[in-house]
Amino acid sequence: MKQRITYLVQNPDDFTPEQLDVSETTFTLNKVPAAKEHRITFGLSELPGELRTAFEQWHELHIRWTCQTPYTAVPPFTSRVSPGLHVFFTPRKDQPETTLCDHLHQAFGPLPKCSSPTTSFTKLPVLSERFSMSSYFQYYAHVPTLENLVTFIHEKLCNSSSKACKAAASSLLSVAYLDIDYDAISHAVVINAFWAPNTWTESVTLPGKQDTIEIGVLTHEPNPDPDDIGFGGFLTVLGQDTAPKPTRFQTPTRHYPLAHPLTYTTSLSSPTGLHPTLIISLSTLPIPPHATCKLHAHLTLPSALFIDKYQFVDPLFLAAHHLHALRSLSGATDLEAPDWVVEQWGSAALFEVALPNAPNQQAPPAAYNISIPLHLRYLPAAPSSHSAVPLPWPVLFFACRADEGAKMAGNPFDRLHLGYEALFGPKTRFMHVPPAQGVDGMVEWIDVPVLDLRGAAWVEWGTVGMVVGAFLGLCWVLFGGKKEVVVEKGGKKKQ
Amino acid sequence: MALSLLSSFFASPRAIFSAAILLRALFLVYGLFQDAFSPMKYTDIDYFVFTDAARFISRGQSPYARDTYRYTPLLAWMIYPTTWPGAWFSFGKVLFAIGDIVAGWMMFRILCSYQNMSQERALKFASIWLLNPMVATISTRGSSEGLLGVFVIALLWAVLSKRIELAGLLLGFAVHFKIYPFIYAASIVWWLDDTQLGRHNNANQAASRSLVEMTATFLNYQRVMLAFYSLLTFIGLNMAMYSSYEWPFLEHSYFYHLTRIDHRHNFSPYNTLLYLNSSPKPNHSPSIELERLAFVPQLLLSGVMIPVALSKKDLPSTMLAQTFAFVAFNKVCTSQYFLWYMMFLPFYLPDSTLLRSRRVGITSLVFWVLGQIFWLQQGFQLEFNGQSTFIPGLWASSILFFVVNVWILGIIILDVRAKTPSRPQVAASKKRS
Repeated sequence: MKQRITYLVQNPDDFTPEQLDVSETTFTLNKVPAAKEHRITFGLSELPGELRTAFEQWHELHIRWTCQTPYTAVPPFTSRVSPGLHVFFTPRKDQPETTLCDHLHQAFGPLPKCSSPTTSFTKLPVLSERFSMSSYFQYYAHVPTLENLVTFIHEKLCNSSSKACKAAASSLLSVAYLDIDYDAISHAVVINAFWAPNTWTESVTLPGKQDTIEIGVLTHEPNPDPDDIGFGGFLTVLGQDTAPKPTRFQTPTRHYPLAHPLTYTTSLSSPTGLHPTLIISLSTLPIPPHATCKLHAHLTLPSALFIDKYQFVDPLFLAAHHLHALRSLSGATDLEAPDWVVEQWGSAALFEVALPNAPNQQAPPAAYNISIPLHLRYLPAAPSSHSAVPLPWPVLFFACRADEGAKMAGNPFDRLHLGYEALFGPKTRFMHVPPAQGVDGMVEWIDVPVLDLRGAAWVEWGTVGMVVGAFLGLCWVLFGGKKEVVVEKGGKKKQ
Repeated sequence: MALSLLSSFFASPRAIFSAAILLRALFLVYGLFQDAFSPMKYTDIDYFVFTDAARFISRGQSPYARDTYRYTPLLAWMIYPTTWPGAWFSFGKVLFAIGDIVAGWMMFRILCSYQNMSQERALKFASIWLLNPMVATISTRGSSEGLLGVFVIALLWAVLSKRIELAGLLLGFAVHFKIYPFIYAASIVWWLDDTQLGRHNNANQAASRSLVEMTATFLNYQRVMLAFYSLLTFIGLNMAMYSSYEWPFLEHSYFYHLTRIDHRHNFSPYNTLLYLNSSPKPNHSPSIELERLAFVPQLLLSGVMIPVALSKKDLPSTMLAQTFAFVAFNKVCTSQYFLWYMMFLPFYLPDSTLLRSRRVGITSLVFWVLGQIFWLQQGFQLEFNGQSTFIPGLWASSILFFVVNVWILGIIILDVRAKTPSRPQVAASKKRS
């Protein structure tokens, strides 16, 4: 087991080395205001038997979970995915995968539309073949908390006497995002948790005498190369070092924050009906940070919702919604199927947003709305008039051309497999638009009208009765004994 | 003054057909403007499906590469020029509109020749189709239902004029194109008896005939030829399409229509039941799934009982009653289906109770329209306001509309029953002479 903990202090003035204390087995922080990343790497052999056997059957697994509340992303932890549980998976070539969903259900609680990757997962679109790091299958589910995962770790993974294990697991309840990665080549499972800026007063203790933990407390440093970000601060290898060692380094990065204060919120036009429109409201007019930058929205839609790609061909229609093009659409895109026929989890879409014309310098910054027309599938009849469907907020970013692609992977904080990088070339820099703070949650709920079973008892007999009655009535009209009357009537008419 | 102008208008085929063409041309041009300047399109969504399918064909691909293309590949081939640049995109709409006009012209000819109408009266009734804004809108928006009209009316004309080989060809083609015209086979076959063919058998002889003799008499030359040519066309077209487009052709043109659930709201009386019974339910309450038998009353009425009871009295009106029954009892019903029976109205209405009795006619029309308005209002509340109107609103309105339809169908059936069997007129008298 290897561990690396990074505290990133946003404001260097808020931090002095006196706030750190290093002893032989413990590293203590005193009121350090910082964002935190904790990375734990397990060798396969360190995992319990059942999990080890499972991982051994897979080629690659990448799990991305993000919380619903908007958090502050601090460089280099700038990348974002829509809130909820994302799974990117590549099976082994020779082995059809059957158990992944069972493990997911166990770890994250009962998930909708997850029976096996071949039936429930969708194929991840790859526009850029050169992006070799992309997975094959994609799955998403609305999972609001990690409570189930924490219980799972407490019961199944922690040694019953290990308080540290249980405490570490419980700390996951407050993460902003959690990544779990495995690939057959490294034979290692990497768990990466990120906490939004907070004031940390805590101790990190070595689990065993042979173990070491790498702890960094970093601040941002200005640096001459605009493509890189620079860090300064202190590195400590707990178990080896007796005092924090000053450090300074810089690295290119795939994900950057935006320099100018642009945020977005998401809402639905009311009433939603069966054709809800998703509205993304930008706080100001979006100005591309560079001429090569194009604004994109990446949507993750549960199976109850779908996009009709044929709508996004007409330039007038696109312009009316402030869209430039539907760049990619994958997954369950059937235009007619009701939800209960769809086996896949849903679909993912990438839109390029139309940028407004260069804003007038004198004019005050105006808000800018993007709308995306969606459609609802029929949901199963239920003992209520409506069923609620979650719609996670899309992620919004500028995709810009970067001079160097390969070097980005050398970034010790590089984060991959977010579901949308493979839709761009490897030399792409993502500049993320953060969601506005202080909103309830980054999930919209849509009330979908369904057939209310409470009043449906008589529908079957009512319908059949009416049809049979009408049929018999028509039989009588066709062959019945009123012939004389009819002839009379007809005769009169002839006169 | 106005009246005389109106009557001279209806006296002139040139005026009527010019007006019909002008009406469609205006709609077409208006549509071009709306499409060019508004994100809300005049053009029907289906037209984009057809033209996309034609584009796939032009690239050597299958038309079924376009989602929701559920038609014969012939349709995509027919509008192949829409793949050419510029104004050619509207070629399909022009073709459908021309189909409308040709169908209207054949209606006019049939009314003159086989219903012995004066030219003016025939034009008035053909105008129900020719000058009907609903018909003109549907074809100029690019829906293929109007194109089917020209084939069905041509079929009727071919049968009435005893061009049996052509009739067989058209019947086979129409069934290949849209399946439902197979119901006309029954009425045409039943109608094609010896009386129609101008051969008079002695009624006394008929009583003593054996089953074999009766079968032999029934299978007269025309009936066999109709069956032969229609089956030949139908099978030939299907084989040709299958050889080019294989399984997807069968799947999308035919099997889809057998397996579709039709859970989305539509005018059919079955639609709430289909949604209810196809949806998985939390507590599995047993269902008798009687909706699986929905085709029984529909096909018995439209394919057997109405043809047998009525076709010898009046073939065109029987075809109207058949289509009306087929649409009213169908598991799915949208307003485009109304066009299927509207094309027979000019033949039936002249001698109908609906026109003779103003009270009955206006009441029927008002209820037919009200039934749709009630349903559309409920549908709007569901679709755009998100209210769960499935029960009771949508169900009740679709049942109400169904009852109205059945009531009108009853009037049509009674009217046709009251007729004396039609005598072969122009064609047969020519033969006799």
